[in-house]
Amino acid sequence: MKKAGFKLLVVAITIFSFNSVFAQSPCDTVATLCENNITKQYISDGQNYRALLLDDEIAEFNMVLYGGSTYRFAACSGFSNGNLIFSVYDRERNLIFTNKEHSNAPYWDFKITNTLDCIIEAQLDPNVSASGCAVLLVGFKQ
Amino acid sequence: MTTRFNLKNQALLLSLTAFFAVSCGDDQPKDDSTETVEVEEKNANNTQLLELDGKVFSIPSPIQTAYLIKGAGVTYNKDILNVPSKVTGYSTNFKKAVNLGIYGADLGYVTLYDQTQDAISFLTAVKTLGDDLGVSSAFDMELVERFEKNIGNQDSVLSLVSEAYKSSDKYLKNNDQNHIGALVLAGGWVESLYFTTNSAEMTSNKEIINRVGEQKNTVYNLIKLLTPYYDQPEFSTLVDDLMELNDIFEKVEITYTFVEPTVDVAKKTTTINSTTTVNISPEVLKQITEKIGKIRAELIS
Repeated sequence: MKKAGFKLLVVAITIFSFNSVFAQSPCDTVATLCENNITKQYISDGQNYRALLLDDEIAEFNMVLYGGSTYRFAACSGFSNGNLIFSVYDRERNLIFTNKEHSNAPYWDFKITNTLDCIIEAQLDPNVSASGCAVLLVGFKQ
Repeated sequence: MTTRFNLKNQALLLSLTAFFAVSCGDDQPKDDSTETVEVEEKNANNTQLLELDGKVFSIPSPIQTAYLIKGAGVTYNKDILNVPSKVTGYSTNFKKAVNLGIYGADLGYVTLYDQTQDAISFLTAVKTLGDDLGVSSAFDMELVERFEKNIGNQDSVLSLVSEAYKSSDKYLKNNDQNHIGALVLAGGWVESLYFTTNSAEMTSNKEIINRVGEQKNTVYNLIKLLTPYYDQPEFSTLVDDLMELNDIFEKVEITYTFVEPTVDVAKKTTTINSTTTVNISPEVLKQITEKIGKIRAELIS
């Protein structure tokens, strides 16, 4: 009985490990594809924003956007564009933008006149996918 | 809005593992009910998942502050930078990580001021620390070669450096070293605020002073980023110092007024028309300057 229990534990750990591998590799691939949306005139903000989403989970990214800059947000999931819905809110929860109104556009530029403290929410388009890695990339130019 | 995770699948798998580990044919029923909770995920599968109740906190790039300072006509001042040769004295991962961020900010600064020789020195320091922290793949010889090849082209060099830091951030998160990644961000932010307060003091430039005040929200974000690691060596001092700094920033008044943004669909551009005014008294500016100076002095020592 103990041997059977031990074998089953090994199986469970193996399943966990495969889950880990599959979780990390798709995120890296998604990020690489997403980078195509951040063109050369934008400088990366130097950070990785990723989340594994299931069903209707929402990822929340908190950031400050400086006045006088233009930012590009690229938001991706899966291996094609249009799978991720992202919305930008200010701290008072006024909706600044949502790509849902623009066919889930994979990127959008934001020209900031005055510094803005904002929240970006990202969720999978339920019509496309029930789970996946959400990647957000941020670039800026002066 | 708070992010919630549906842990049904993961809770089930965890339950299965526990079940097989300790039982011999126990007939306890599985719990299939959906459980939605707000938790901090910390396993290898979720190194890229959100932490802190499902929220991710971003720290602005130090390069943007350098742009502001240079754009305001502030002259190059090497004295405000950390000395590259001190790199060999940083022995703990804490000091290495935070100074990787500090030297990165310095590198951005000298690059914007076309200080080629200084840039090479800082790049060397960055590479040394990157190697020590195990992110040598981000700061490899190829980066050095491309950097040297593009010297003179600010945008290309800044892009290269930023991409290297992003690559480093990715590696650290993939390898469950989020605390090191957070320290790199912290170091970059401390250094850029140090530049900003120094420049504000020298010039009394309104835009630069406002930029100091605008850090009110970022210092809060940074504290949230570092707090999960409070129990680790050296983190508590930094977090405590940042909380004291945050208390000073509470005296900065920021007034925000929402104005409907303007959308240009063809250009895929939204212009933010909302206004933000910053009210920071000379006394509060002085307090922030002194406090960030002390924090920074401790980090680079």
